[in-house]
Amino acid sequence: MSSPSASASAAASRDIRVDFLRGLALWFIFITHTPGNLLAHGTLRNVAFCDATEVFVLLAGYAAGIAYGRMLERDGWPTAAGRIVGRMGTLYVAHIFLFVVFAAQVGFSAAALNQAAYLDELHLDPFGQEPYRALLEALLLHYQPAFLDILPLYIVVLGLFALSLPLIRHPAWLLGLSATLYVAIRISGFNLPNWTGGSWFFNPFAWQLVFTIGVVLGRADPAVLARRLPWHRGLAVLAGLLLLACAVALNLVWHGPGFGLYAPEWLAAAIATVDKAGLHPARLASVLLLGWLVAHLIPRQASWLSHPVPAMFVLMGQQGLAVFCAGIFLSFLGRLALEMIPGLTGQVLVNLVGLAALIAVAVVSAWYGGEGKRSRKTPLPATSGIVTP
Amino acid sequence: MSAMPRKFQPWLPLLALAGALAWTPARAGDVACGAPAEAMEAAPMAGVFAALSHTDLRILVVGSASTQAGGTSGPAATWPERLGAVLGERVAPVTVTVAVYGRRGTTATDHARILAEQGPRLRPHLVIWQLGTVEAARGLPVEEMAETVQNAVAQLRAVRGERTDVVLVDPQFSRFLRANADVESYRNWLRVSAAASGAQLFSRWAIMRHWVETEKLDLERAPASQQVALADRLHDCLAKAMAEFILDGAQRGRRARP
Repeated sequence: MSSPSASASAAASRDIRVDFLRGLALWFIFITHTPGNLLAHGTLRNVAFCDATEVFVLLAGYAAGIAYGRMLERDGWPTAAGRIVGRMGTLYVAHIFLFVVFAAQVGFSAAALNQAAYLDELHLDPFGQEPYRALLEALLLHYQPAFLDILPLYIVVLGLFALSLPLIRHPAWLLGLSATLYVAIRISGFNLPNWTGGSWFFNPFAWQLVFTIGVVLGRADPAVLARRLPWHRGLAVLAGLLLLACAVALNLVWHGPGFGLYAPEWLAAAIATVDKAGLHPARLASVLLLGWLVAHLIPRQASWLSHPVPAMFVLMGQQGLAVFCAGIFLSFLGRLALEMIPGLTGQVLVNLVGLAALIAVAVVSAWYGGEGKRSRKTPLPATSGIVTP
Repeated sequence: MSAMPRKFQPWLPLLALAGALAWTPARAGDVACGAPAEAMEAAPMAGVFAALSHTDLRILVVGSASTQAGGTSGPAATWPERLGAVLGERVAPVTVTVAVYGRRGTTATDHARILAEQGPRLRPHLVIWQLGTVEAARGLPVEEMAETVQNAVAQLRAVRGERTDVVLVDPQFSRFLRANADVESYRNWLRVSAAASGAQLFSRWAIMRHWVETEKLDLERAPASQQVALADRLHDCLAKAMAEFILDGAQRGRRARP
């Protein structure tokens, strides 16, 4: 499907819209991981079934498809798969580091607030109760505290990707296999267990589908893609109306009662079936529809993307992993700040400092040669550099 | 509806009228410790309205720790007991009985089992179901919680029809819980559960957050010596807000009647 020349041309004109959207998703992830942040009311999850997680995973797949696809062609499967495993190791270490930060933050909050006053419920703090066991379970990814669930998902999804890598030369097979696994998981309900009860917050065997779709989109020649998924005004209007209807329905169920408006029971019952853990088809459809609309509504060479503010998000998107980890780390500090500084002051401070720090991390990471810099210097033997997942 | 013409009791409308006047929700002034008015607006509660037109109102409370003690000076000071007292005063001569089946650390699944056992036996006019804290703290699947609520309410409806109203109560506001659990998701799913099962949600979280933001009641910042007294006050205030909510629903239940 994509000849070497096609991927070379794709590399030459990097699609910065993808970086921009990824940067935006990373910012949203920082915001929604800081509970109590008022900006969270303005993020994607308030108006759509999907949220920044789907966008992040889809675009991670997109970037991985380009980077490792090229590596596969140049160095073969063992080398490329080895690089992916190395990446998984990096993610694992990052996850454990963030877990330690999380534990420290919980300890600090617990000491600063009279949490025992009402949280008599215990079990609230497995780390406080059984620290050694909790540490072990965390190392086994068997214990994932709230908000520390995206990296474990990413690690397992990358593992599956390493195994299926040669199939990216046959996108139909890759998609078919991925969709089959997704359907099997949806039917069987299988998921990895979680120590505190229930199972993984994101079922990686279901979520691999959105990553794989990203991989296939990333590998495809943009011209072929545009021909396969052409713009159609009627369909676009329909898609827009559908997304709008979903936004209205969700908000009617969530916030209607506060205004004396009650959604019909069947509508709420339908919404209640849309699960996040197993990536319900409505969530998948929602992110794909949004992607299709955005891809056509924002021109590839949109001049506003090079203006300073959007350019910051582009840069954040290009330094994906560093910014993601920094975002989670900062969200822990943000929680403490929101606990300490009430009212608008805390909100403004957390969001200004948070965004500034994310941009700073992106700038530093790009400057010292993190993701993307090497690739600009050495265009062809593009190592992991160009677009790193 | 079919029972009405068959067994018409002439005193009933009179009593209902007297009752309606007596339990008109008090809106003026500092109601329920200054809880936000919109948090005390309810959807029609036909079961409670019907009960108030008779002689007794039976309430069944299920939930986790806060229904039992929750840091108060004792069971008599918890919100379910205070609700019985506050509501009893407001709706006299109707007697209010509150049966509490709460235990620390219990989840919606435990509560559903209790409802299945006690629902047909106690024949409550109102079920107050406090849930979500333990689920959020342990990161239990939100979808399963919603499904449990839907099934339990459907089962209750199969036995009791419209004679039982169901009110879900969300977690207590706490900065600690907010920072360390994905409470927003659980609150959203409680809203969906309520809407999908014909129940309604009493947002304890929103009310308590309002008290914290307006510096009226902040248990997490209270010195240790004042904690028990403050917890008592908190539960009393919550009971008052909940009484307003229930009476508002009953009022609307009257208007909604054919």
